[in-house]
Amino acid sequence: MPLDVSIILTNEESVFRGTFNLRNIKMTKVLKEPLLLITLLLIFLALGFFVLYPMASVLTYPGLHDFLSVPKNPRYLRAIYNTFIMVMLSTSSAIIVGFLFAYTFTRTNVPLKKMFRILSLLPLFSPPFMISFSYILMFGRNGLISYTLLGHRFDIIGWHGLWLSETIAFFPLAALIMEGVLQSIPPSLEYAGRNLGATGLKLFRTITLPLARPGVAGAALLVAIYVLADFGNPIMIAGSFTVLATEAWARVSGWGDVTGAAVLTSILLMPALLFFLFQRYWVGKRQYTTITGKVTLMDIPPTKGYVRWSLFIFCTIFSLLILCIFFGLIAGAFTKGWGFDYTPTLKHWQHVFSYSKPLTNSLYFALIAALVSSSFAMVSAYLVSRKTFIARRALDFAAILPAAIPGVFFGIGYSLSFNTPPLDLYGTSLIIIFSMIFWNIPIGYQTAYGGFQQIALSLGEAASNLGAGSLRIFWDIELPLLKSAYISAFIVSYIRAVTTLSVIIFLVTSTNIVATFQILNLVNDGFIGQGAALTTALLLLTFLILSCARLLFGRKIELFKI
Amino acid sequence: MPEIHIRIRNLIKRFGDVVAVDKVSLEIERGSFTTFLGPSGCGKTTTLRLLAGFYSADEGEIFFGDRCVNHVPSHKRNATMVFQDYALFPHMTIFENVSYGLKIMKLQTKEIEEKVEKTLKFLGLEGLRDRTPGMISGGQQQRAALARSLIMEPEVLLLDEPLSNLDAKLRVNIRAELRQIQKSLGITTVYVTHDQEEALAISDSIAVMNKGKVVQVGPPWEIYYRPKNTFVADFVGIANFIHGRVTEITSQDILVNIEDQLLTLMNHQYQASTGQRVVLNIRPETILMSKQLPESHSNVFSGKIRTHTFVGQFIRYWVTSGSREFIVDLHDPSSTGILDGDVYLQLPSPKLHLLPAEDWQ
Repeated sequence: MPLDVSIILTNEESVFRGTFNLRNIKMTKVLKEPLLLITLLLIFLALGFFVLYPMASVLTYPGLHDFLSVPKNPRYLRAIYNTFIMVMLSTSSAIIVGFLFAYTFTRTNVPLKKMFRILSLLPLFSPPFMISFSYILMFGRNGLISYTLLGHRFDIIGWHGLWLSETIAFFPLAALIMEGVLQSIPPSLEYAGRNLGATGLKLFRTITLPLARPGVAGAALLVAIYVLADFGNPIMIAGSFTVLATEAWARVSGWGDVTGAAVLTSILLMPALLFFLFQRYWVGKRQYTTITGKVTLMDIPPTKGYVRWSLFIFCTIFSLLILCIFFGLIAGAFTKGWGFDYTPTLKHWQHVFSYSKPLTNSLYFALIAALVSSSFAMVSAYLVSRKTFIARRALDFAAILPAAIPGVFFGIGYSLSFNTPPLDLYGTSLIIIFSMIFWNIPIGYQTAYGGFQQIALSLGEAASNLGAGSLRIFWDIELPLLKSAYISAFIVSYIRAVTTLSVIIFLVTSTNIVATFQILNLVNDGFIGQGAALTTALLLLTFLILSCARLLFGRKIELFKI
Repeated sequence: MPEIHIRIRNLIKRFGDVVAVDKVSLEIERGSFTTFLGPSGCGKTTTLRLLAGFYSADEGEIFFGDRCVNHVPSHKRNATMVFQDYALFPHMTIFENVSYGLKIMKLQTKEIEEKVEKTLKFLGLEGLRDRTPGMISGGQQQRAALARSLIMEPEVLLLDEPLSNLDAKLRVNIRAELRQIQKSLGITTVYVTHDQEEALAISDSIAVMNKGKVVQVGPPWEIYYRPKNTFVADFVGIANFIHGRVTEITSQDILVNIEDQLLTLMNHQYQASTGQRVVLNIRPETILMSKQLPESHSNVFSGKIRTHTFVGQFIRYWVTSGSREFIVDLHDPSSTGILDGDVYLQLPSPKLHLLPAEDWQ
């Protein structure tokens, strides 16, 4: 997720320096250090070949007439319309829920708010399709709550189920961003407002909300990108309500129509790219985070009773909806026949362990991809933030670009580019690993870039003054200070890689199958229990890595920290 | 004749369209303590960084002795720097910080150990070698940063506002300490500050900078009492300015017509000519103020106290006299109490300083 961390420098001269210093490390210096030059060339080549080339492949695969005939195809038009509706609905609801959660965390004394915060983070660690899968188990035609408990043949499949799933899937991201925004508003401003007589809703409307508005806009754009690109939830729960991502998959899996899929994902890319650019260069620029480390904590004045309890009920409902996901899934993994026979069983797990290839593949691929991705990102961020060279801005852009690319587009790009010579990777592990590496570059890059921004330039200068060269500075000074940033980048990349469905769906064959794809197959074929068991296993792998990192590196790691 | 150690010749540094250092030429004596003083953005830090080798000059030369260092990388200039924010490596202990440069020089472990021990002791940091920078006080951090620079036995020591992050009392103490260390080691030191009091107190020589140019170089006394222009007079200390026109010049005195009266000032070999427009400058603490009309009638103004502020060691008065306003500092307020109402001001003729009016801002 794109994040802009800038440093407010207090000293006037520092601002002056901060603005211009990069020009001073001259191009000649880069030329004098051949290692740097080679690294730079390799990075450019890699990004060109693994990001830009696949993009170009998709965009150029269909002819112009394929794009021009889009308005004549009712299925395409419906997918476009549905996507538009879903982006509007889900983004709005995710933003509203997210804002209320963030407001509860930062501005109120609602009981259990710490617990609500932890619960609200959980969906960020789970595979995207898990939410809809679990809601089908809980609220579907054979749902535990809807049918078994309430005796109602309510059907969650359709646009309303998708709306609910996406709201739950993406409000945590919105809450996280807006929590940062609300925290960055100096409490003294609200105190000043209160001091001048504004209270309650008036204070919220005239001070808090206007100050948070740029942050809310930024969060909305990001969430919109995620909703646009979401593939896992609609493929599970949307039924006949097709969106662009699922329609593209249907073209390939149903009709073998790659051209159609390329056209549809290209249509999907346009708004995603637009939102992304808008977010980054317009909204993102306005957010500042000071790194003085001083969080001005003033006591939160007590919230009015009815506000407090309304927020409490609200947060409770959404927290229960999150808990439902995990409950449904785990229950499903141990239940004989969901919907009619709730006898506990372990037979689904036997299947998971007897046919463990998808799971081990997922683990290996994601570990390798996360390692390479975050290292690659770290070096790129170092170069962009510490060196001056031609096309520095271009490298910056190329490194964050994949964040705007919907997974299905990325996947099609890889299948079009690397299933034929010069690089034929059809059915190999490498094609999956490469797609995971480069799709996740922005995660590590932004984390590392933010980290570099926070390390005072004078540290590097001091080391150079004492005799350290570029490599030595990177190794002795920058890298140790970035350790926690690197580890968080690694973990987030790993989670995204292990849980992705959209990127790999066009690349998977029987030889390089991964767990997410296998789950989709199992659910489609009606093996609900096995699907639930495999999803639970996948989830365990995620939390296993997380706990390892926690044990090894302590509490310093801040995941998804904006 | 003292030896010139650092020679800066027509130094120019541009950042985009901004000329940060504009044709600076300067000579710094070996073993001296020289301060670059000026407001924010005057180019003082940039000049220091050019000396350190963090920036490369666009034009002009820098000589250390007779060696041109323009293309010598930072660590080969034998000029170490103490940073404004100290730039202590936060993930290393004080020992690791201080020994960092020696390790890069690949010195023997034993030698490093000895040197660090000696330096830490010299700076009173013995007990802190295993602490990290976050665990020691600001003053200690400052000394640790100094230790890291001094241990390299530099030929030139560069200090970039090293005291600005300390509180007022500590600043004065460390200032004196710093000066003493510098004198005992005899290292040529270049210091950057925007604090004029600090500059006056610590330096052998001050280079006042403005808009990328050096506007005056000289010992603190000269900078304070004999500023070359109104910028220096105004930036260093508080100055009263009076506009006028020279009417008569003798070897002893200069007479200046300031419209309502003639002022006499002692001629300190000024290059003035009759009829020239000039600005007279006098420091607030040199003006005499009394309730009675002084016996000598020369350079006397009658005025009325508009307001005052009590600073402790002195009282500052704002006195209105016709269309002018004077700032007058009276020391030892305990003997006079706080004055008000009508007063007489007398400007002693040796204390008046003459500046050319051309550069009046």
